Formats: sequence, structure tokens, C-alpha cells
Amino acid sequence: MKRTVFAKMAFVGIERNRRLYLPYIFSCIGTVAMAYIVQYISVSPAISQLKGGNTLAAALSMCKLVILVFSLIFLFYTNSFLSRRRNREYGLYSILGVDKKGLIRIAAWESLTVSAISIIGGTVLGAALSKLAELGLIRLIHTQADYSVPVSAGCIGYTALEFAVIFALLYIASVIRICRCNTLELMKSEQTGEKPPKASALLAVAGAVILAGAYFIAVSVKNPISTLFMFFIAVLMVIAATYLLFISGSVFLCRILVKNKSYYYKKNHFVSVSSMAYRMKRNGAGLAGICILSTMVLVMIGSSSSLFFGAEESIKSRYPYDNEINVYIPALEQIEDNKTDEIKQVYEKIIRENAAEAKNVSEFTYCKISGLDSADGKIQLDPGESFSVLSYDRLRTFYFLTQDEYNRCTGERISLSAGEAAVSTLHCKFNAPVLEIGEMKLKIKEKCGEFTALGEANSNVVPSVVVVVPDYDTVKPLEKLTYGENERMLEIQWHYAYDLDESDELTAAIYEQQLDCLEKIDFINSDGISYNSGCRTKERADFYITFGGLFFIGIILSVLFILAQVLIIYYKQITEGYEDRARFAILQKVGMTKDDIKKSINSQVLTVFFAPLIMAGIHFAFAFSPIWKILQLFNLNDLKLVVLVSLAAFAVFGLCYTGIYRLTAKAYYKIVSE
Amino acid sequence: MSLLTVQGLKKTYTTRFSSNKTQALKNVNFTLERGEYAAIMGESGSGKTTLLNLIAALDRPTSGKIILDGRSIAEITDKELAQFRRDNLGFVFQDFNLLDTFSVEDNILLPLVLSSRSYDEMSKRLAPVAHELGIAEILKKYPYEISGGQKQRAAVARALITNPSVILADEPTGALDSRSTDELLELFSKINRSGQTILMVTHSVKAASRSGRVLFIKDGEVFHQLYKGEMTDEQFYMKISDTLTLLATGGERR
Repeated sequence: MKRTVFAKMAFVGIERNRRLYLPYIFSCIGTVAMAYIVQYISVSPAISQLKGGNTLAAALSMCKLVILVFSLIFLFYTNSFLSRRRNREYGLYSILGVDKKGLIRIAAWESLTVSAISIIGGTVLGAALSKLAELGLIRLIHTQADYSVPVSAGCIGYTALEFAVIFALLYIASVIRICRCNTLELMKSEQTGEKPPKASALLAVAGAVILAGAYFIAVSVKNPISTLFMFFIAVLMVIAATYLLFISGSVFLCRILVKNKSYYYKKNHFVSVSSMAYRMKRNGAGLAGICILSTMVLVMIGSSSSLFFGAEESIKSRYPYDNEINVYIPALEQIEDNKTDEIKQVYEKIIRENAAEAKNVSEFTYCKISGLDSADGKIQLDPGESFSVLSYDRLRTFYFLTQDEYNRCTGERISLSAGEAAVSTLHCKFNAPVLEIGEMKLKIKEKCGEFTALGEANSNVVPSVVVVVPDYDTVKPLEKLTYGENERMLEIQWHYAYDLDESDELTAAIYEQQLDCLEKIDFINSDGISYNSGCRTKERADFYITFGGLFFIGIILSVLFILAQVLIIYYKQITEGYEDRARFAILQKVGMTKDDIKKSINSQVLTVFFAPLIMAGIHFAFAFSPIWKILQLFNLNDLKLVVLVSLAAFAVFGLCYTGIYRLTAKAYYKIVSE
Repeated sequence: MSLLTVQGLKKTYTTRFSSNKTQALKNVNFTLERGEYAAIMGESGSGKTTLLNLIAALDRPTSGKIILDGRSIAEITDKELAQFRRDNLGFVFQDFNLLDTFSVEDNILLPLVLSSRSYDEMSKRLAPVAHELGIAEILKKYPYEISGGQKQRAAVARALITNPSVILADEPTGALDSRSTDELLELFSKINRSGQTILMVTHSVKAASRSGRVLFIKDGEVFHQLYKGEMTDEQFYMKISDTLTLLATGGERR
């Protein structure tokens, strides 16, 4: 008998507070569903059987972990909000004679109900959507697959178990709260809940300074590799600064306005400014959270969709030609042996046999060496111990081409005499009048046009300098240089690439046949001659599985973060609604017209609501520079595309955000006008 | 001419979900002279608060007339109402109704700001009022930082600062302890002596005994009224008590 009473009390409590509970349960269902979908896809044979699928599956597992950790934090946050309201009822029960054990039982029933609905609803929803999500992902990574189980019992089990643990933790937290408080504290918990933090000018200034510092780092970092590290630092700084600014900065700003008596004591400003300060004080942390979530969504969607939509661009940059081969030649004097001609003949023969024709043939021999650049043109080789993360900024790869090769490939007419050179650069600058590597000293005669035929250089993380020299003898001094005992620093390669105007299948088939024959040539893989090769059509799948997968994860996490925002904003609107209702009544009694009150409240709600979006937009704008540099690591060099995609991402997100506002504002006005 | 005249006032409420009508006020008639200090008493649900809301123009009567300072409240348009309220009425509520978003000073100045007065004028008006009410020291504090008695004094200051024709007080001592109640009632007597008209709704016999006249409301009508005349507070207190007992036990009108 008693047991059913407690259960009933729990159900009635949920039912009575459904305005608060329903959104909470919906978002629980949403997170469970998302966790299930990601889990389901990460173990789906359709993914793991793909080439590179294991990496994607691993990334998805990481994504799942992020979802779980985030759900834990976010559900704790919202649950604390809920329990504040529920504790008042517990206090009442306690006055009516329910002991702590009883309260804990009620809480247990309540938690059981919510978690059962969430887990069952979530897995059902997840199962319903998982196939769709999987198809979406498969679309994104440009493959086909239609063999996989529709519902995975194992995944349901895992997801249910994980969320059972999360809900159990939430339950334990509320039990602790019940045990620690006495009846009266429970009753009062709703009023004492959020103490407005004291706003201090010092914190506000600190926030502004930290933000400026973070922005400065973001804008000034030059090299993509050191960017990764500094970007992380800047992100932490931005998060800290956002909290400081929203909690203290906004109140500080209002206080300055209040000090200006002729401004403040005006009908239009008086009520707005003061309630704004109050609102910001109470909601600073929540707004900062919303702002950071928004920024995260923008950065994730902006960068992952840029990658995805720029995938074709990246592929073309890494593989400028349909098929390519690079053969390593052990020494400079062997270039004249023309052994590579044999390879070329085999290749051409196979193309002919397939009734195809090679177009845009690109063939040249080059040497390369890496070192640290310095302003005076002296290159430091093999720095060994002294090499650190910070020196990455100065790391360069030097590609040497003879003027004959360069002129033949580009159609230019560069004419150099001994000891002279021409340079062109990619992703870096080279302004020194001389170039000094080891014993080789060259005078820079001129700058020449960009050399884009070499995919490896285009896609290299390390910026490259193409050096045109009179002949191979010029670089002869570099041959002596070694890493350690006998590993030569100078690499010599013969590059051969061409386009075919044929179908993807035929292009790939020709490529395969060529490789088979290549393996049969006697000098290959002996005498230090080796090769690497690539076929754009075949590599495309690799690009798409990476970029499509990242895009997919970006979408999933964005949906999760947006879901969290909806809930935070909704609860904010509801609490403010209750507060504003009382204020509304007082102001009216004191002699403010209904229209004036409405106008004032409207403008405040709008400001408070869109401040995080605007701030997130600014964060995103400053994050653009480092993001752009990181994207370049992925061979994405189309600035216009990235800008457009980023703007589109902001526009779409802004629309979503406005939608959330519309939805939650309804709840707010309903409460205020009750 | 009387400052406030209430004639045949009637208010009927219709609930939203039923056609049942509740009659809050049946037929109320009384007048209030300039400089008078009157109390309205009655049991819960007798229509006291409804009456006050009607006089405050927060609600419109079903029928009847309210004339304040020669002007019928019914004729005032909705647009002018807020201005009218600010200029002619001062409110003191049971739960103070101070805004947490404002300091005590700003709470008091609120009606003046809404009337677009200059800050110089505001501070000139504020100083004597704050001094008189003994709240000069707490002007910079916020409502949640001060005691109930202080809050109510701040609310009185807010009501006084516009020099209203009449102060309407709704259970002003309802949320105060006995010491603060005494202080507030002393304050009311003081401002009344300086010429301020006060109309107070109250449950408290003690509060009522400090006024000059008590109107008893029962079932939506003015049932009886008592004048203090030359009586002391204690004598008036006894008289009011007796009347209330009679009212409660259903005695006949004397």
C-alpha cells in the first residue's frame, strides 16, 4: 500500500510540473537516441568493411564518448534546476509527515520513471533514425553499402547501460541533496537557489584583457602546426573570458550607465538598464554557456562542412593529375642513366593497350631537402636536439629544379648563370638575397612563377620553396650531407604524371596494370631505387571517408549542443517569466503603462537572447584565421569557399537560434500574461 | 467638496470557465474629505481589496461612480490612466512591492522618473522625504538587504514623493512585526497631521484605531462606520473591537 503511495506521489509530481519535466524528458530521449545512433554506426559492418573504415569507427567511438560526457554535465545542470523546484514539494511532504526514507523513495520512483521513459523512448527513436543516419553518412563518404542489421540489440544494451549509470548518478546527487537539507531548507530551496554573483570591475577588465589576448593569438599565429597548440590555449582563454564578460562585464557596463545620472534617470532607460543589470547578474553564467556552445557549433559546422565541400579541391591539390608516380633515384649521376625511360615506356604501352591517351603529361626530375629558414637565407640543416615545436614556423622544404626542367614544364624562359637561382614559394615567403645550404651558395636572381605541378609540395604541411638552378651540378655539394651515418639528406625523384579522359574505372584499371608491370622491372626496389604512386580516383575514397566522417560527427555533435541550448534557454525563459510577472504587476501599480512595460521587457529579452549569438559570431570571426590555417593542413586552399561556407554556417545557425527563441518566447509570454 | 466620492459602486466578476457571477461589491457609497485618515475593515472576501483596486483604477467597476478631486475616474482613458495614477495616488502594499532590481533610492524615484522629471528635482524632493521617514542611510542599499520595516518605509516614501492627493494603503502592517507596525502607524499619523489624506484597508484593529474614521464592509456594502472624534486610541480600539464582534456574530446595526 505504502509503496504505491510513493509511486503515485512521484507520478503526480512529474505530471504537475510537466512544464518543466517534458522538455527535460524530451532532451534525455534526444541524447539517448543520439548515443545509440553513433554507437550503432560505429559498429556497423557497412562502415568497418570500408577501406579506412576502422579509423572512422574509432572517431565515432570518440564522438560517442563526447556525447556521454557532455550528457552527464548537461543533465546534471538541468537536473539541478528541476530538483530545486521539486525540493519545495519534498519539503511540503516532509511537513506532512513523510520521513527522509520516504522522500528518497519518491525520488527513486521519479528517477526511475524519467530514466525508463528516456531510455526506452531514446532507443526506440534511435533505432528508428539509425538507418537514416547511416544512409546519410554513407552518402557523405561517397560509398554504397546496404548490408547491415536494422537494429542492434548489443547497441541498445550498451546505450541503456551507459545512460542507466548516468541516471543513477543523478539520483545519487538528489538523494544527497535530500539528506543534507532539513525540511525548511527544502521548502526554501527555490528562492535561495541562485545567488547573483558579485560583479567586480576587476573581473570585467580581466575578461576584456584575456579576450583581447586570445583574439591576438588567434590572429597572429602564422604556422598551422604551432597553431594547433596555440589555438587550444586561445580556446581556453576565450571560454574564461566569455564567462568573465557575461557575468561581470555586462553588469559593469550597466553600472557605468547607472552612474551617468542624466542618462539613467530617463523614463526609457531607467527600468531597462536596471533590470538588465539584474538579469545579466542572474543569467551571466547561463548566457556564457550558451555563447560557448554556439561558438562550438559554429566552429565545428564551419570547419567540417568547409572540409567536406572543399574535398574535391583538396583532392585536386594533392593529386593534380589522374595518375602519378615518383621514383627515388639514389644519386645525382644516375639521373643521366635514364633508367626511368624504361618505366615511362611501360606506362605508355599500357595506356595504349587500353585504347586511352595520356594528356597533360608532366615529367621532371627534382631534388629536395628540408631545413630551418632564417631571414638571411642561411638554412640550418638537421638541427637535432635544438629542434622544438616553435621552430616549426621556420621549417621549409626546398625543391630544386634545373632551369631546363622548369622552363619545359612551365613554358617560362628563365636563364641563369652558374651560382644563380630563381625562387618561388608556397605558403611562405623567401626574401633573402642569397640561399646558403651547407657548402652551396646561390645568389637569388629573380622570383619565378608558382609551380603547382607537384601534388606533394601542394599538400605538404611544411611550406615549400621551389628553387630553380642552372644544372644538377649546382646541388652537388648537398649530396654529401647525411643524417647520422649514411642517410642522405638530399632526395632525388623522378616525377611522372598524366591525365586520362576516361571513366574512373578505366583510369583505376590502367593504374593497377601499370603498378603490376612496374613491380616486374628488375631495377625497381633494388639499387636504392624505389617509388611511390597515386591514383586520384582511388584516393578520393580516402578523402571522403575522412572529410565526410568529420562532417557527420560535426553534425551529430552540433545537434547535441543545439539540443542543450534549447533546454538551457527554455529554463531561463521560464524562470525569468515567473520573475517578470511579479515585476510587471508592481510596475503597473506604480504607474507604468502596459505598453511601456511590454516594450521594455521585449527589448531586454531580445538583448539578453541575442547577446550570446552576437558574441559567438565575434568569437567565430576571430577563430576564422586559425581554422583557416588548420584547414590548410587538410589541403584545403580555397579561401573563398571557406568564407562562404562559414557565413552559410553562421546564417543557418542564426536561423536555428531564432527558431529556438520563437519557440521558448511563447512559453515566456504565456507565463508573464497569466 | 469631498476629495473622494464613491457612489453606488458595483463590481461583478465572471469566472473564465463558468457563467457563474460573483458579486464582490454590491452597492458602496462613501466620501472621503481632504486631510482625512480613514480605515476600511472587513472580513476576508468582503470586497475590501476590490474596492481599493477600483479606486486605484487598476480595475473598472461594473457600475457606479468614483470621483477623485472632482474628476470621474471612469472618464479617464486607458492612456491617461498611468499618468493619473502617478500624479494623484500613492500606494503602500502589504508585501511592499519594491523592485529587487532597484536600489532603495531608485525604487522611491521610480514614479518621478516615469513622469520624466529632471534628476535635480528628484533629488531635491527625495532628501526631505527620506529624512522624515528615517531611511536616508539606506538609500543606496537594495531591497533584499534591508528589514521589513525599512522596506515598508521605503514604499511609503515612494508613495509620498509625488505629493499624491491620497495614499492608498492595502494592509500596510500585514507583513510587519509589532515594533515595525508601531513605527509605521506613528509615521502614518505624522504624515496625516501634515495634511496628507490616507485611505487604508486593514485587518488590524490596532492599525484601524489610529485612524480618524473606520468603515466596515460586509457582503459588498458599507455596513457601518465609526468616527474617532475625541476618543483616545485605546477607547477607539475597544469600540472597533466590539463592532467587529457584533459584525461577526451577526448582530443588528446600531
